[in-house]
Amino acid sequence: MDQTAPKSVRDLEYVFYPRSVAVLGANRVVGTVPHDIFANILKDKFQGVVFPVSPKERSIAGVKAYKYVVDIPDPVDLAILVFPSTVCHLAMEQCGEKGVKAAIIISAGFREIGPVGLKREEQIREIARKHGISFIGPNCLGVINTDPLSHLNASFARQMPAEGSIGFLSQSGALCTAVLDYAQAKQIGFSKFVSFGNKANISDIDLMMYLKDDPKTKVILVYLEEITDGPAFMQAARSIIRETGKPILVLKSGRTQEGAAAAASHTGSLAGSDDVCDAALRQSGVIRCSTIEEMFNIAIALAYQPLPKGKRVAIITNAGGPGVLTTDAVIKEKLEMAKFSDETRDIFKKTLPATANIKNPVDVIGDARADRYKVALSSALGDDNVDGALVILTPQSMTDIDTIAEEISTVARQFEKPTYTSFMGESEVASGIQILQRRQIPHYILPESMCKAFAGSYFFRRQMERPEESVPAFADVKKDQAAAVIGKAVKEGRNYLPEAEAVPVLAAYGLPILRSGIAASREEAVRLAAKIGFPVVMKVISGDIIHKFDVKGVVLNVSSETDAGAAWDSIHANVHKARPEAKISGIYVQKMVPGGLEVILGLKRDPSFGPVIMFGLGGIFVEIFRDVSFRVAPVPPSEVREMIRDIKAHGMLTGARGRKPRDIAGIEQCIHRLSQLAVDQPEISELDINPLIVQDEGGGCFVADARILLSTAKEN
Amino acid sequence: MTKDEIKQRVEKVTARVLKVDPKEIKPGSNFAFDLGADSMQSVELIAGFEEEFNIEMEEDKAREVQTVGEAVEFISGYVK
Repeated sequence: MDQTAPKSVRDLEYVFYPRSVAVLGANRVVGTVPHDIFANILKDKFQGVVFPVSPKERSIAGVKAYKYVVDIPDPVDLAILVFPSTVCHLAMEQCGEKGVKAAIIISAGFREIGPVGLKREEQIREIARKHGISFIGPNCLGVINTDPLSHLNASFARQMPAEGSIGFLSQSGALCTAVLDYAQAKQIGFSKFVSFGNKANISDIDLMMYLKDDPKTKVILVYLEEITDGPAFMQAARSIIRETGKPILVLKSGRTQEGAAAAASHTGSLAGSDDVCDAALRQSGVIRCSTIEEMFNIAIALAYQPLPKGKRVAIITNAGGPGVLTTDAVIKEKLEMAKFSDETRDIFKKTLPATANIKNPVDVIGDARADRYKVALSSALGDDNVDGALVILTPQSMTDIDTIAEEISTVARQFEKPTYTSFMGESEVASGIQILQRRQIPHYILPESMCKAFAGSYFFRRQMERPEESVPAFADVKKDQAAAVIGKAVKEGRNYLPEAEAVPVLAAYGLPILRSGIAASREEAVRLAAKIGFPVVMKVISGDIIHKFDVKGVVLNVSSETDAGAAWDSIHANVHKARPEAKISGIYVQKMVPGGLEVILGLKRDPSFGPVIMFGLGGIFVEIFRDVSFRVAPVPPSEVREMIRDIKAHGMLTGARGRKPRDIAGIEQCIHRLSQLAVDQPEISELDINPLIVQDEGGGCFVADARILLSTAKEN
Repeated sequence: MTKDEIKQRVEKVTARVLKVDPKEIKPGSNFAFDLGADSMQSVELIAGFEEEFNIEMEEDKAREVQTVGEAVEFISGYVK
């Protein structure tokens, strides 16, 4: 154990490897939590000593019981509290007196029931803090450690899982029991299994950091309902992946858009909390899964097989249809069908029947027995053009299913490349699947799941290879100048910076703004437009109006002094009609850039992850197309490049249909500068640059419109 | 009814419902922590007191009662 780790991480050694455990509140009533936890510790052969603490029983299951934990003559490393929540504080106080090192509070009736429970939770946290006791829970199922050195089932789960290399952490206790049942059916084992409940003390991050150094854990699975400290979670995940190469898979519930409805900017309405979470997890190298099944499908691939070095896949099948289905899934997952070398094709020609398809997918024909599978799989995996193999079997009358399963297992182990399988069907292939599961060859009912697992493993491989990057810091940034503009608005009690004020903030960060000025009168507008040079854009300035187009407060392509005067008049007339109460403080006159692709850059401060940068296809229909990508700031260079590549309209930037490529380097520069602004100026809650007009390669980008909302923004 | 009488009857009900030795029951005894009452027995205790004293207690407040001494005080408020 890393002795420099926080106490809450170090103390987990007492949770997983206690020399002695006391169950406080145990009883004799079979089928109740206080009884079953004690019984599980006994039944599942805990390697240490266990003491029941029961106010009124002399013994439980033949083991001498103590009235209070302080009555136990021996030292106690771990206390498991199963008392009613109303008296857990008394039990914790005695644990402190006894010198207990760590605790698991199973009892419910805390934060999850409301203010009364929250008060109890705070009280118990304070007592634990006073005595230096780290604890898991409350409101949890408990902890399981399958390591034979401890073999502790301190939970009320019905069964102790098999030993394995997957560490599972869950915020939901009920989900744990379902997962245990699912895993048992699939012969999946666990290294550590933790239900952490309300995480009043030991957090999900502490547990992840413990598993980072746990030699028994190869893959970390986490089920979360909320991410409390986004940046800390991201940092922990990155350090685990980088330093140990252990993959982290997260199943996070709550794929909702709450908060987005109240947003006043495009970015605010597009950056729902789940979009941000999705981006943040991906950015941290975490594999986010949508279902328990998907999580375990990918987890077994990562736990049992080598990581694919690339995305070139060989498919070996004894049936054409499933081969085609799998090919479709390979393409859908953005993997590639491997092209076999001439040598491999020669082997196939010599060893497979003349009717066999020796291209990819390799069809070994319906009457294939184990020998054909063996030669096809070993030749494919031996080919330098192949990064991994997907083996499909359909049960036909001559298919020797079990022998094929054995042969695949044997061949797969001879290569440093992954082999995944799909024996399609159910009862006929059941024994073959069991062989594969026992020999830790990942098996999937559906080829689509198999390809998803391969894609997940390949994603993780790339995360491991991603170099540590520094985020550029621009020396020409005038941080104080931007802060002064923001500070002035805050002082005046305003939380919206219209374009005329947003532009100087962006200019201070070196974002490419256009020549512009503010006109207070019709004459001034005409003069200013002529001075800037036609064509110009004229826009209403009003603290009451955020979406200027919606009130027809913008006139484009103003190309003469006469037009400028007319534009002044029409803007005033339109705005008065649409929003009679709006106060117009002037007209913003700005150089108009002809042509160019309109993209949007945005910023939103997420309550969990902090500043989030958005990029996407711009214009007034951004909410309709929703072609945007997100990253948490500060955004490193590779992520900036990737977030540009992530949008569906990426082809429009690289030169679709014979067009010249756009200035992607210019966009990257703008994202980096916006990222620095996001980190430097915490008062900004939302920011839109829409559109950012992107010229052809080398031509630059220009901020054509912008708005900023400050932290208390609630308008419109 | 005197406080002493209430105390004796509270202890009698407690010993019966929780199946504990009456000698174990002290004014400061916590029903759950010291006498091992689980949630079901807590409900049984409330019902037992109501029957013993022929009273009807406010359930939410009754559930907040933690110790034998507190129960005596609480019931005193209902008994004439």
